[in-house]
Amino acid sequence: MLRLYHMYRGCMHEFSICQNLVDAIVNEVNAIQPLPKRLLKVHVALGHLRQIIPEYLQFAYEVLIKDTVAEGSELLVRTVPLEVKCRKCQWQGEIERQAFICKSCGSTELEMLTGMELYLENLEIEVEDAEGN
Amino acid sequence: MLKEIKVYRDLMGANEEWAQKTRDVLKEKNITMVNIIGSPGAGKTALLEKTHALLATDTRFAVLEGDVETTRDAERLAPLNIPVSQLLTDGACHLEAKLVHYALLDLPLNDLDMVIVENVGNLVCPAEFDIGEKAKIAVLSVTEGEDKALKYPLLFREAEAVVVSKTDLLPHIPFNLEACLAAIKQINAQTSIFTLSSLTGDGLEAWVQWLKSIR
Repeated sequence: MLRLYHMYRGCMHEFSICQNLVDAIVNEVNAIQPLPKRLLKVHVALGHLRQIIPEYLQFAYEVLIKDTVAEGSELLVRTVPLEVKCRKCQWQGEIERQAFICKSCGSTELEMLTGMELYLENLEIEVEDAEGN
Repeated sequence: MLKEIKVYRDLMGANEEWAQKTRDVLKEKNITMVNIIGSPGAGKTALLEKTHALLATDTRFAVLEGDVETTRDAERLAPLNIPVSQLLTDGACHLEAKLVHYALLDLPLNDLDMVIVENVGNLVCPAEFDIGEKAKIAVLSVTEGEDKALKYPLLFREAEAVVVSKTDLLPHIPFNLEACLAAIKQINAQTSIFTLSSLTGDGLEAWVQWLKSIR
C-alpha cells in the first residue's frame, strides 16, 4: 500500500524560512521584560552562498508579520560574503560563488569560513524610559 | 527610548532539529540515507528504476518520493517491490526534515540498509534544507545547460556526487560534456562525477558501486 504524506505549507522556500524568522522574533520580543513598546528594526545575516533572494524574504516578511508583535517593523538583511581559507597555501579571502578556486595558488582545496549564514542578529526596540514615556 | 538587543537565532534551527532526529534514527538502525536532487525531468526516477537491479542484489533499500502533488513517481516504482512512500509538499518547492522524519519512521527500518529520498524537482530550494541525509546527490541531464553547476552553486558545492544523466543523447545534441564537467569541478573539485544513461545502462555500474561504497 502506498503511504501519502502532505506538507501543508505551500510556498517558496523564502516563506518557510521567513516563518521561522517571525516565530523567532515573536519569542525574543515576548521574552523582553518589560515588554517593549514597539519593535522597530530586525537585522538578519544572510550568507552569499545561500540561494535566498532578499527581495522575496522582504515580501514574505511583510505578509507574515501581520497581526504579530513584529507588525510595522522593518527587515534589514546583511549579506555576508563567501570567504574561504586555502588548505594548501593558507590564503584567506573572498571568492565568487562560481569559482571555488584559491585566488593565490589555484588550489581547489578550500575551507569555507563564511557564506552559509542565516540567522537573526539583533532587534531594535522602543522601550519606556524611567518617566514612562 | 531606543534599545538594541543582540540575539543569535539560527533560522534553520527547527529544521535542523528534525534532521538531527533523523540522523539519530539512521545511526541507531545502521541505515544510510541519500538525498537525490535535480531539475524536473533530469531523470531522477528513471535513475532509481535502473539503480534497483544493481543495488538490490546485496542492499535492502526503500525510496521516499518527493513530489509537489502527484503519486506518479511512487506508482512508477511500485513494480520494484521495495518499500516506497510518496511525500507530497502541496505546492512547496522542497522537502523539509520533519516530513521526511515521519515518513522514515513508518518504513520497516529493521529490514533496511539504505533509504533513497528523491527530492522535489528543483535545483534551488532543496539544497537549502538538510533532511538528515548522509549525502546529497545532484542529477543533471545532458539536455540541460552545461553551465548548470555555475548557476546553482550551492547544490553542486554540497553534493557528494553528481550524476550526469541521459548520455545516450550526446550524439544528437549540441552539449559540451567537457565544459559541463569543468563547471562542476570549478564549484566542487572533490565531488564524484558519474556520466551515465539510464536508458542503455551505460555507466550505471560505477554509480551503484559508489552508492554501495558510502554505506
